[in-house]
Amino acid sequence: MLEIKNLKASINNKDILKGLNITIKPGELHAIMGPNGSGKSTLANVLSGKNGYKISGELKYQGKSLKEIPIDERAQKGIFLAFQYPTEIPGVNTNNFLKTSLNKVRKARGKKELDTLSFLKLLKEKSSELGIDEKMLSRQLNVGFSGGEKKKNEILQMKILDPNLVILDETDSGLDIDALKIIADGVNSSRDKKKSFLVITHYQRLLDYIKPDFVHVLSNGKIVKSGCMELAEELEKKGYKKIN
Amino acid sequence: MIENFKINSKEIDKIKKISKTERDFRINNLNLFNEKGFPNKKQEDWKFSDLREIVQKNFKKLDVNKVNSKVKKINLIKDFHHNYIVIVNGELKSSNFSFEDKNRVRIKNFKNDNFLQKNKENSLVCLNHALSDKGYDVEIEANYKFKKALIIYNLFTKDLKENILNSRNKIKIGENSELHTIDLVINDSKYKFMNNVYENIILENNAVYKNICIQNDKNEGYFHKFSKSKLSSRSKYSAFIFPSGPKFNKLDLEFNLEGEDSECILQSASFLNKNDHQEIKTKMNHIAPSCKSYQKVKNVLGSDGKGVYQGKIYVKDIAQKTNAYQLSKALLLSDSSEFNSKPELEIYADDVKCSHGATSGNVDEDSIYYLMSRGLSRKESIKLLIDGFLNEVVDMIKSNSIKKFVKSKLESQIHGY
Ligand SMILES: Nc1ncnc2c1ncn2[C@@H]1O[C@H](COP(=O)(O)OP(=O)(O)O)[C@@H](O)[C@H]1O
Ligand SMILES: [Mg+2]
Repeated sequence: MLEIKNLKASINNKDILKGLNITIKPGELHAIMGPNGSGKSTLANVLSGKNGYKISGELKYQGKSLKEIPIDERAQKGIFLAFQYPTEIPGVNTNNFLKTSLNKVRKARGKKELDTLSFLKLLKEKSSELGIDEKMLSRQLNVGFSGGEKKKNEILQMKILDPNLVILDETDSGLDIDALKIIADGVNSSRDKKKSFLVITHYQRLLDYIKPDFVHVLSNGKIVKSGCMELAEELEKKGYKKIN
Repeated sequence: MIENFKINSKEIDKIKKISKTERDFRINNLNLFNEKGFPNKKQEDWKFSDLREIVQKNFKKLDVNKVNSKVKKINLIKDFHHNYIVIVNGELKSSNFSFEDKNRVRIKNFKNDNFLQKNKENSLVCLNHALSDKGYDVEIEANYKFKKALIIYNLFTKDLKENILNSRNKIKIGENSELHTIDLVINDSKYKFMNNVYENIILENNAVYKNICIQNDKNEGYFHKFSKSKLSSRSKYSAFIFPSGPKFNKLDLEFNLEGEDSECILQSASFLNKNDHQEIKTKMNHIAPSCKSYQKVKNVLGSDGKGVYQGKIYVKDIAQKTNAYQLSKALLLSDSSEFNSKPELEIYADDVKCSHGATSGNVDEDSIYYLMSRGLSRKESIKLLIDGFLNEVVDMIKSNSIKKFVKSKLESQIHGY
């Protein structure tokens, strides 16, 4: 699904990723843990195609290089990034936006666009699974949403767009335990043999609810250690400093 | 090229049945206009919109004669029930008040009877005083609330070509009465023409007036409107302006809050595309105590689009407990877009709440990134953001059917982007 070899990325003359390797197969869920400033969000941004980075190394998705592929096409091809800080967009109605987005992605996949009625049915189903108040969806996109609402809205988009590769950037931070469980349920119920997940987190807590197949430690722009769930537990006990 | 656009007094002789006082008034104003010509940037009020230069650049001639056009049938709006009046090239042609008690509404051709007015600052007003001989005059009796909105269909016909139209309109709303109007411009002319309007709005005590002004489609018109409103005690005036469309547009709006506790709200959203030039100039005069005014002007500017907002708040010494607010926001889509905002406060009372703010900037790249990461192209994302920026104003319209109608009009304009 995803193959990253010797990935280097810099922005504004600052080297952030310094030779990163990771391979994710279909059906796998990988967790990346790392201290603040280690480059986690940068990795997520680079995968989504965000502009402004100087990039070298290999970046392959479904066997093909991502290098020349713009942000919107990556999304249409099934890459989904749940943002650490979802942007507030005044004036844009959440419902309308979700429908526009879904139909863009469906169209790119050769599927028929959904009419308003079928869309609302889908939306109702998915939002009730996540315990989202439908009133929230008639508001402006992320504007005035609480931290938890913003994150739930990201997971809702993930559910609706049904991507192949999901990147969650610290979706757990700032959530209370109830919201954390709902979001973990949302992720777990989406897991299947075809989908891959890259779950970025700062704390081990999330991994009590979402069981990863692999855990990697990112430090100073590189993966310094990889292992299984035990690695996450070790990190929790010893802290990041002792690992490398 | 019009070097010296001077108008012969013979044009006034063409206006039939006028008294000597009226003739003198018109001649005086004509002389004033001939002396000054079209306003240019040397005048403070026209600093950002040099009309003289614009006229010279775009017109070879300007014909002041009446255009008598036949209009077959107009396509009335089917989105909601409404009363209507039809104006063709500035002239009142027909009216329909089928939803109202006709005894409470009076409509006729405008006939001026005040020959004392002077407005030496704006030569276009002088020109209007000199030549206008058409327009509408609507009066609503006291204690009558309109059941349905009144649409004013402003048609400009296809035989307009390098004409300058002068018309004058008046709306008077009696005590405790209420009227909602929608001004709709429908243009069939493919050529350049000028439209110069003088408008009077009078709200008696407790009257409520809501107006929505929409330019229906892109056109080659050069529009100027001077509007003077009087707000009596506890009256409420709310204006929505969606003025995109003409090549040039200047709205010079004066609101006089003359009665205590009166309230004036002005909200505007425009999309100015290629080479459009638009100026909104307001003068909010707080003359009586405890009045409220609120102004919000939003502009989206495409390549070579130019927008201006000159908003002045004046508070007279006796106008204590005034609450006045003014905000301007501009979204620039191109390096060649230009927006100028000039807020002005002139306050002589001490117990007042006045604030103003202005922002202008490019489309937010983080927002574009977010939308693109959900599969929308860059262009679609920008369009959605423009829509969102302008819809913030449209969403303030209370009636759902009218809001939907306005939205569809605005969206069709943005589609051209
Ligand atoms: N646009 C940028 N310009 C300069 N430095 C940046 C930029 N974005 C991120 N950085 C820096 O790169 C490092 C990694 O950032 P980030 O990927 O956000 O870390 P993490 O998500 O792991 O906390 C930090 O030191 C941060 O300050
Ligand atoms: Mg981060």
